[in-house]
Amino acid sequence: MTDVPPVTIEPKGRSWLSGLSVVWVIPVLALAMALSVAWQSYNDRGPLITIEFQDGSGIAPKETELRFRDVKVGLVEELHFGDGLRSVLARVRIDKSMAQYVDSAASFWVVRPELSPSGVSGLDTVLSGVFIEGSWDSEIGPPATSFKGLNTAPLYRSGEDGLQFALRSIPGGVLSANTPILYRGVEIGRVGPARISPEGNFAIAEAVIYEPYGRLVTPATRFWDTSGFSVSLGPNGAEIDFTSIATLLAGGITFDTFVSGTEPIGDGSVFEVYPSELEARNSVFNSSEVAILELRVVFEDNISGLALDAPVELNGLQVGTVQHLSGLVDRETYGDSRVRLNVVLGIQPSRLGLQGEIKPEDALAFLQERVQSGLRARLASGNLLTGGLKVELVVVEDVEPAELEIVEGATPIMPTTESQVTDTAATVEGVFSRINSLPIEELLRSAIGFMESAQNIVNSEAIREAPEDLRGLLSDIRGVVTSQSVKDIPVTMNAALGRLDAILAQIEEEQAVARVLAAIDATTAAAANVGGVVDGVPALVDRLVEVAAKAQILPLEELTDQVTEILRSADAVISAPAMQQLPASLAGALDELNRTLAELREGGAVTNVNATLESTRAAADAVAISTAELPELVERITEVFDQASATIAGYNKGEVISRDAQAALQDISEASRAISALARLLERNPSALIRGR
Amino acid sequence: MVGMERIEQRQKILTARQMGLVACSRCQQVWEKDVSICGRCGHKLVSRDPQSLQRVWAYWLIGLMCYIPANIYPMLQTRTLFYTQQDTIVGGAIELIEYESYAVALVILFASVVIPISKFLAIAFLAISVQRPPSVSHHQRQMLYEVVEYIGRWSMIDIFVVAILSSLVQLKVLVSIYPGPASLFFALSVIFTMISAQAFDSRLIWDEAHGKDEGKAND
Repeated sequence: MTDVPPVTIEPKGRSWLSGLSVVWVIPVLALAMALSVAWQSYNDRGPLITIEFQDGSGIAPKETELRFRDVKVGLVEELHFGDGLRSVLARVRIDKSMAQYVDSAASFWVVRPELSPSGVSGLDTVLSGVFIEGSWDSEIGPPATSFKGLNTAPLYRSGEDGLQFALRSIPGGVLSANTPILYRGVEIGRVGPARISPEGNFAIAEAVIYEPYGRLVTPATRFWDTSGFSVSLGPNGAEIDFTSIATLLAGGITFDTFVSGTEPIGDGSVFEVYPSELEARNSVFNSSEVAILELRVVFEDNISGLALDAPVELNGLQVGTVQHLSGLVDRETYGDSRVRLNVVLGIQPSRLGLQGEIKPEDALAFLQERVQSGLRARLASGNLLTGGLKVELVVVEDVEPAELEIVEGATPIMPTTESQVTDTAATVEGVFSRINSLPIEELLRSAIGFMESAQNIVNSEAIREAPEDLRGLLSDIRGVVTSQSVKDIPVTMNAALGRLDAILAQIEEEQAVARVLAAIDATTAAAANVGGVVDGVPALVDRLVEVAAKAQILPLEELTDQVTEILRSADAVISAPAMQQLPASLAGALDELNRTLAELREGGAVTNVNATLESTRAAADAVAISTAELPELVERITEVFDQASATIAGYNKGEVISRDAQAALQDISEASRAISALARLLERNPSALIRGR
Repeated sequence: MVGMERIEQRQKILTARQMGLVACSRCQQVWEKDVSICGRCGHKLVSRDPQSLQRVWAYWLIGLMCYIPANIYPMLQTRTLFYTQQDTIVGGAIELIEYESYAVALVILFASVVIPISKFLAIAFLAISVQRPPSVSHHQRQMLYEVVEYIGRWSMIDIFVVAILSSLVQLKVLVSIYPGPASLFFALSVIFTMISAQAFDSRLIWDEAHGKDEGKAND
């Protein structure tokens, strides 16, 4: 019992190391691990940076992350106010691996959910809360621990490839900021927030075009605004034109390079944004890269109608615009207090047509030279309808010599000449007043009256029925001509003539000739007796001649004309639509005629005619009987002739008379010949009596 | 306890060692002290484990080391649609108190803070009391040891809760619960304190008393 303690205790006390349990390795190991982990985590702890924001919206200590390319690289440790409570300072612990890149060029901004026409961004922050996004490049620059946060996300994040440049509005134009840059409808870049230039005459905004599209931009590239929409009315109807809904709402900028063959640009260029594609296109050819030459012109007459941007023309070519307008009262220079029109012209030197590189000074020198040879500015009517004026630079002959007044530090003043405004206006006014005084209304009234009358006539029943009447007439004529009785006429005539022959033969048999000869002899004797009585004969003959002459003078030509006219009218009538139907009517008429003729035959009309002819024959017989009494008559005639021959005997004295008598006889013989011709004609063609030929 | 005290008061306790005997720690067979291997189960026979205290302290230390991160790091990660919440043990309990869930908060505080800490204290006290004469009787210390050993496993209740929650609440985006790093350390801490308590050779409780007695006697 007593030897037990030394056995067990002594070794323990002798060497504490030998009694040490192996189990101690575990806590030592754990401690070592814990220490190493602690050391490592301390060692890995990055630096603390301070970011200054305007407000701490949504930033929460220990929660809000700092992200780079959407990967967490740090955490906000604390949030407090800056000096004077003007800002909020966020102290952010950055991962050590990233710390070296967060140099003085780094930028930070708070990512918040954003709803814009072109899309929704930062939606995840709605749920997770905002985070701070950082942007820095891959190059290690001078370290910094204090930064100023941006209010909005920067356009261009370092480390991204893209072409950086600036866009500025043209003077007086607008610039839609924070809009996409579209090319052929594809968003390839963005315009950042715009700021106004210190002078306030244009807006300028940073813009970026992401790679690989940067090469699309060359010095000849023109940008224009596609915001809003355009409405046009054309032959194809109304058109509303806009690029996309996004640009309709928020605007957009697009560009094109109208001139090929130029080199891509580097970062930092400045481009102008034109209001429309047309202007952008025009601007390529009206290079605005050369500065504008400003000229002042003072017009004596103060005429309304000249406006800003009114054209300035040289030989009809626009070389600039009116840039400024004001009234001017300068008692010192002009000696009175009249108000004059002070106009500042902006001349585009490149449009003057000078060769080579054109500077405003060159243009000024050129203009000075031209002014010496008579170049003057004057107001002229630019637009007759609106009464707008323009400024013309014209060479005036025989003008008082003047100089381009060039004063150091002031705008050169261009001499003027009389303006050409009132003349044109007056002329146009005169023309208009003359047009105004034309009796157009009366003329129109008469014309309307005439038209109405003509219409009434044409519409009248009588005119319409005229062709019908004519058709009826013709069919009647045709009916008569083709009637059997007419056809019978020649036969009847032949019979009549046969009887006439018989009568004549009878007359011959009665020795009429001998008696006639005797009568002639007696006549001759009588004529001889007549002797002095014949004095009255020439007068008689004269009267005959007169009668003949009168007959000749008869207005046959007029008659012919009238007939011709009638025929023409008939032609017109015939060509009338109603006449066209004539053949059909005629056929009908002929049918009717046939029917009539048939009726006539049946009705004994022919018999009647024959009876008539019979009566004629009886009459001829009566004539023949009466000719039996002819010898007595002949005797009497013989007596007359005897007396006449006596007369003629006395008459032989004058050849003139005999010639007249001969002429009379000739006329008579001609007449008889005509009668015989007529008789023959009638014999051949009895219907000629009716038809007239 | 009363009974024990009575026993102590009644008679002096005689240890097996004092009687020259050694009990097999596995099969409880009692042998002569010279026997080095248990003839029944083949277990090595040691009257007193000389390295027991070393192992107690070693495991105790590891448990304590694990307990620190278990309280610093978040125990639970609750990810909902809108936020991610990370709760440490004490933070969660305080939050529960703010929500006026006092009962739950008390249970959590008791199981996760009071019990582990009292375990550490109890083990440390027991280990120290073996070498230094304590003011607490053998019987009380023995009971304390038994309580510590018994209650040790219940500290795992936190781990259970975390394990069950994180396996049940997995509604993807809506709500998800993940065990935080503290849960691992807490589990380790509990495990190591249990091992530490087991490593304690409770027979030393009685030895020490005898040693003291002997010391007194020797003095």
